Amino acid sequence: MNISAYRALARCVVLESLRRKDLWVVAILGFVILLASSTLGFFGFTGLEIFAKDMAVTVLGMFSTIIAILTSCRLVPDEVKNRTLYPLLARPITRLDLLVGKLIGAVAVTWISFLMLAALTALALTIFHVKFELIMVQYLLAKMMGLVVVCGFSMAFSVYMTPSASATVAFLVAFGAPMVTRGLILASAGNPALTPVCKAINTILPQTSLFDLGGRTVYIGWGLVPVWVMGFLFVYGLFYSGAMLFFSWLKFRRQAV
Amino acid sequence: MSSAIEVRDLFVQYRTKKGEKLDAVKGLTFDVKQGEIVGFLGPNGAGKSSTLKALMGFVEAKSGEARIFGETAGTPDARKRIGYLPEVAMYYPFLTPMETLTMYGELQGMRGKLLRNEIEDLLEVVGIAHAKNKLNRSMSKGMLQRVGIAQSLLGNPELLVLDEVTSGLDPVGRKELRNILKARQEQGTTLFFSSHELAEVDMLCDRILLIHKGKFVEERDMHELKSTLRNFYVTYRGEASMLGLTDAWNENPDGTKTARFDAKDGLVSAITRLQEKGGQILDVVSQEGSLEDYFIDTVEAAA
Repeated sequence: MNISAYRALARCVVLESLRRKDLWVVAILGFVILLASSTLGFFGFTGLEIFAKDMAVTVLGMFSTIIAILTSCRLVPDEVKNRTLYPLLARPITRLDLLVGKLIGAVAVTWISFLMLAALTALALTIFHVKFELIMVQYLLAKMMGLVVVCGFSMAFSVYMTPSASATVAFLVAFGAPMVTRGLILASAGNPALTPVCKAINTILPQTSLFDLGGRTVYIGWGLVPVWVMGFLFVYGLFYSGAMLFFSWLKFRRQAV
Repeated sequence: MSSAIEVRDLFVQYRTKKGEKLDAVKGLTFDVKQGEIVGFLGPNGAGKSSTLKALMGFVEAKSGEARIFGETAGTPDARKRIGYLPEVAMYYPFLTPMETLTMYGELQGMRGKLLRNEIEDLLEVVGIAHAKNKLNRSMSKGMLQRVGIAQSLLGNPELLVLDEVTSGLDPVGRKELRNILKARQEQGTTLFFSSHELAEVDMLCDRILLIHKGKFVEERDMHELKSTLRNFYVTYRGEASMLGLTDAWNENPDGTKTARFDAKDGLVSAITRLQEKGGQILDVVSQEGSLEDYFIDTVEAAA
């Protein structure tokens, strides 16, 4: 574990993202949400807590996933394309250190963006007189863990494919995996002989929907998620991201640059 | 003196996008002793950058062995002792030189005040202290090359591996760089660099290694090479023959004759013979040979 290398690499990713104004785009986006909400509030659309919360979690989930994919997909290919990789690999670090540092950086950028958007969305929700509930914190924590998984597979794809191809596949996986899972369950129920295959595919697919507590957050009266479930999500997120990191390293460790 | 770099029968192979195999380096063997400045020469596509990349572990050797201070080349332990300047490198456009060097220093295992002081010193040495807080994207190619030189010197490496070191530098920058590199050598640093700039090679190197089409061509001591390249000319009037002393002589339009000698001994013998045979010596010239001619002749002979 080369902690100082991870810190240095991650800081570089965050600084670059900040100066490239990526995070400003997020902030502007958040203000647009806030403005739209206040306009609705101005015209008296109050008492629509469920609608407002549903909108908020949808927007948050979608934009944070987009940011995670776009940030992670360009990390390694950009280093190769811009030839910034050579001075990095000339240092006494392993290629795995480099991938870990970059992934931490991508996660940091994604989390900062997500929390910025979440703060602005929370502000927007107050316009609709939505009260704070503890499940909202659970929603944020679970989503943050899910974003680590999205960053992990996006970076892994980018090591094997071109940046645009990896972004496309990552979008398909991030937004399509829950639908595929549902399809696999139906296929398995319809034909039990397919169950092992369906289970195998389901194991490989990232279960991003597990991290989405949006439904529980939107509807009033649902209780908190048990702590062990949160713990499971944490372990699953860590395991899946680790697997994706290993998958990236398998290709990158011997890749001629 | 022990070796800083040992390369034995190194083969480097690439795969093209069509899947064809391309041999960039074919059985290269050489040594660089500690404290030497060695120039690595060859025409475009000779395999210089591929060899340097193999030394740094950027590409895996197909076969053979490369060692840095006894450590397998490309391992973090070997890289700990190397400062590397790539042929064409960009430095994060949205970082400043200060931030860029801080990151590289931290990756090198340095930190705190020690790192900060060293960065300040290096920025001063390479002449971009005034621009330390400007974004890299706003800098010229020459200034970025100076950032690159500073990052290669971070941590006071024992070996500097420099690929096309003077690329992008103006004549003043080149002179400053020569002084920096000479000063580092005096402190015991070994320098191994590739270059197309034969004038730089001439002024810096103790020794040169010449490769062509991935193969070793020859290795020359710079001092010995320069003395070999020196030519001596005598222009005279008279019937004295230079037969047996040199084949390079010709008659000029005004009836005088000029003979060329590769060594001073030949010139001395010619003067003695002219004095004995009553020849009239009109001019004696000692002329520095061109490294460029040597380079072109040797590469053509190896082709």
